[in-house]
Amino acid sequence: MSTRLLSRAPQDTPGTWKSYLGLFAILLVSAFPVYWMFVIATSTDDAVMKSPPSVIPGDQLMVNLREVFTLQDVYFTASLINSLIVALAVTASTLFFCSLAGFAFAKLRFKGNNVLMFIVILTLTVPNQLGVVALYILMGKLGWNGQLIAVIAPGLVSAFGVFYMRQFIGHAIPDELVEAARIDGALTLRIYWTVVVPAIRPALAVLGLLTFVATWNDFQWPLITLNGTDFPTSMVALSDLASGNYVIYRRVLAGAFVATVPLIVLLLIGGRQLVRGIMEGALK
Amino acid sequence: MERFGRRAARVGAAGLAAALAIAGCSGQALEGNDSSTEGGQVTLKVNFWGDMGLDQLKAKYEADHPNVKIVLNSGEYNAQHEDLQKKLVAGSGAPDISAVDEGFIVQFRSQADQFVNLNDKGASSFESKYLPWKWQASQSTDGKQIGLGTDVGGLAMCYRTDLFKAAGLPTDRDAVSKLWPSWDQFIETGKTYTAKTGKKFVDSATNLFNPVLSQQPVGFYDQQETLQMEGGPKAGFDVAMKAIDAGLSANLASFQPNWDQGFTKDQFAVLACPAWMLGHIQKTAPNQAGKWDIAAIPGGGGNWGGSWWTIPKQGKNVDEAYKFVEWLVQPEQQIEVFKKVGNLPSQPELYQNKEILDFKKEFFTNAPTGQIFATTAANLKPQYLGKKNGPTRVAVENVINRVQQGQLKSADAWAEAVKEAEKASKS
Amino acid sequence: MSLTDVRAMRTEEPKHAPPPRAKFWLYRFDTKTVPYLLIAPFFILFAIFGLFPIIFNGVVALRHWRLDDPTLTGWAGMENFTKLASDTDFWDALVNTFGIFILSTVPQLLIALMLANLLNRKLRGATFWRIGVLLPYVTPVAASTLVFAVFFSRDYGMANWLLSLVGFGEEQPLDWRATTWSSWIAIATMVNWKWIGYNALLYLSAMQAIPKDVYEAAAVDGAGPWRQLWRITVPMIQPVVLFTVILSTIGGLQLFNEPMLFDENPALANGGYDHQWRTIAQLIYKVGWRDLNLGYAAAMSWALFLIILIVAAINALATRRLGGGK
Repeated sequence: MSTRLLSRAPQDTPGTWKSYLGLFAILLVSAFPVYWMFVIATSTDDAVMKSPPSVIPGDQLMVNLREVFTLQDVYFTASLINSLIVALAVTASTLFFCSLAGFAFAKLRFKGNNVLMFIVILTLTVPNQLGVVALYILMGKLGWNGQLIAVIAPGLVSAFGVFYMRQFIGHAIPDELVEAARIDGALTLRIYWTVVVPAIRPALAVLGLLTFVATWNDFQWPLITLNGTDFPTSMVALSDLASGNYVIYRRVLAGAFVATVPLIVLLLIGGRQLVRGIMEGALK
Repeated sequence: MERFGRRAARVGAAGLAAALAIAGCSGQALEGNDSSTEGGQVTLKVNFWGDMGLDQLKAKYEADHPNVKIVLNSGEYNAQHEDLQKKLVAGSGAPDISAVDEGFIVQFRSQADQFVNLNDKGASSFESKYLPWKWQASQSTDGKQIGLGTDVGGLAMCYRTDLFKAAGLPTDRDAVSKLWPSWDQFIETGKTYTAKTGKKFVDSATNLFNPVLSQQPVGFYDQQETLQMEGGPKAGFDVAMKAIDAGLSANLASFQPNWDQGFTKDQFAVLACPAWMLGHIQKTAPNQAGKWDIAAIPGGGGNWGGSWWTIPKQGKNVDEAYKFVEWLVQPEQQIEVFKKVGNLPSQPELYQNKEILDFKKEFFTNAPTGQIFATTAANLKPQYLGKKNGPTRVAVENVINRVQQGQLKSADAWAEAVKEAEKASKS
Repeated sequence: MSLTDVRAMRTEEPKHAPPPRAKFWLYRFDTKTVPYLLIAPFFILFAIFGLFPIIFNGVVALRHWRLDDPTLTGWAGMENFTKLASDTDFWDALVNTFGIFILSTVPQLLIALMLANLLNRKLRGATFWRIGVLLPYVTPVAASTLVFAVFFSRDYGMANWLLSLVGFGEEQPLDWRATTWSSWIAIATMVNWKWIGYNALLYLSAMQAIPKDVYEAAAVDGAGPWRQLWRITVPMIQPVVLFTVILSTIGGLQLFNEPMLFDENPALANGGYDHQWRTIAQLIYKVGWRDLNLGYAAAMSWALFLIILIVAAINALATRRLGGGK
């Protein structure tokens, strides 16, 4: 290695063939399980038991999918719709409420602003999974256990969302803009709608993606409240597929693959935003 | 970026509207989903595990009763019972009809007020038709009947004729039965097989433990609900350990994917089969038709499994549910289930029925399953299964599986089994 | 654009201006009350579904609360906690949780660091690589765990096939679920797989914020790329390392999905026949929703909460100390 190279910061140093090789290897490892899921989802039982294992997709995808979707015990079709309902409702609500609160915290003067924001940050550190037992009892009292609302309600707001929106709005919207609108006589909600929302679309996209992914993939709480009901989310349906008396790998993984596809599509469309969102999250 | 953001915002807004709309709709559906009665239309949800032979019966019943729709939901054995318990406490969400296995019936009959007392619906007229113990087992102490019996799990031993032939063992079912009047002789046969072929003999030692246990006069618990490990459980455990020590077990946890693969890959040659196991074998290894046959179980007799249909009180259509259950336990349907999946009815009259006695199961080399299981069932001596029978069984099976995995010496296993069983009895 | 919207509004405003007094009250309401209305939904919803359950959990922990025997209710005092203290299941689960936590956190963060270092170059298709490493992050953990469950199966698993290529386990294939260490490794592999890319992006963003002259100054000392990483980059991104350590602690100690679905029969929540990989979160599920003993499960949740707090504090201290020492 020559010293000329070292005088540069890493981000100005062009990648060598070694770094590309390393990246390629990691990409391969990252993608392989998803690919292999597809391989088994397209295979027969025999192919699953082959040694060496098959790494080329078979032609049984439609057969396996038909089995998954027609399996009367698992409600797989409904589970996909349920997951979509839950993820969309949670995402939409998170975006709305968190951008409202983030706007208030970033741009409005009111008593207790800083203290309340501190509380929001504090709640970020509380692992809310720890309340599952009581949450289950609460949902029982409300009569919501086993219904989608039991999964949607706890996700309607997120402390991270408020924090993220506050940071973004604080940077993206100059105070003068808000003041100008106010002098013009615009009420707060109007400012939110006409000034803030148009300016924070990128942040909404990022937060929306993060929320959607997290909600779609959530497993523990949906399992507790929705298991054994007619309204599983797709993750609960997957665990059903994997724990009946007739567990068939090609069928399980065909289901897993179907439940993964929407997220791969999301990654393809919104990958750039997702990367940005995660990288911004690091700098708070 | 900006373009994407705007589009995302629009999609998000549309999504919210759609989600709320759908949530609203499904919210309405939720209200009466378990047993909805829109326009006289009744939906009955039936929970069970494995294959209880209902697929065709469902179609038949729906054809005869256009206002009834039946939803079948087969789940994991333990989970279905635990789930029923949760829903009973929650006061809602239970299926209209739930199968309850003998391993859990004591737990549920002690909560008889959560179930429809079937005697109120006219079930008492069936009492004389049932094996007396089957009728009593689902009855609460104050005489409420929570379930109508489906099947009993009379025991036999299923074996692979082709593998036996290859090992130089007899293949005729009477000759095979003579190989193993006792469990010790069964293990000796296994040793011969394994020595000859280098293959494993049984699927899993847990599937020896369970039948041997079920042949004992007392199971895990006595009538006073005291854990009795030294009696029946010890006998079953010893046979299981002998089989593992002799290297006879393929160490496949039953009802799991590896077990299913074990069928197709000829990883074992025998499988203890209560009547209901026949359905499992057919479904798991459909391409092995004609390669299986059924011999007598070593040790003679014994009952493993067998269920009841129960109707949780919280259902909205208990009358329709009862009508369906009553229809299900009629001889005609019981015979059809028997022919289809092998579940042996718990009504002794049927053991004399020509259709059952003359029935030969093609899949099992035309074994006369009716004769085989009917004779064992008539001699069954029922065992009391305590409230904690379900978790206790899982705990002891776990210990056996540890020995099979080579993580526990068989000599130390019994003490461990006792410890785990005691823990489960207090869970 | 939005600015012009606002300006356009102004011309209309005076026409419809309400009477001064009403306007005053409206203005007061808008500046004094509306901010609270905007943040209210968050606080109300969080109070109901976030805070209340955690507090109420404490109440449940002090009571008998059984779903299989609803008649058994009432205060239990410290009974659940004393039971906990002598419950080997709990302590075993704690050991498992920590074992898997260490096996997953340490390699995860180290590899993420290397990956971030690779990504922190002038690369062709930089965005492509960054999106690519996020594939595990978006893959549902239930789906990926089920793939790994097949991957690590005893008889026809791909892991064993790979091992057999290097001549291992040809006689007796490795039963991944049987021994403690192999099951821990399998589960840690799943966790690592999922989170390396995510953490790498966190590190990458911190790395890119390091002023370039720091490197230029150090290059005079002739630091190679490897030393550059450890001597300059890592100390500079220490706050983010701390952040990921805390994140992984919180996540790792609540590990549920992977051990749950790795079981041959997930419905049992066994975590292995000897419970050799059963984590605390999984034990809580088993006690609460299989044994139906919610009071005891709540007590376990509280204990786990305390443990997380302690470990997170120790980790934070240790990481700061380590970073500060250099």
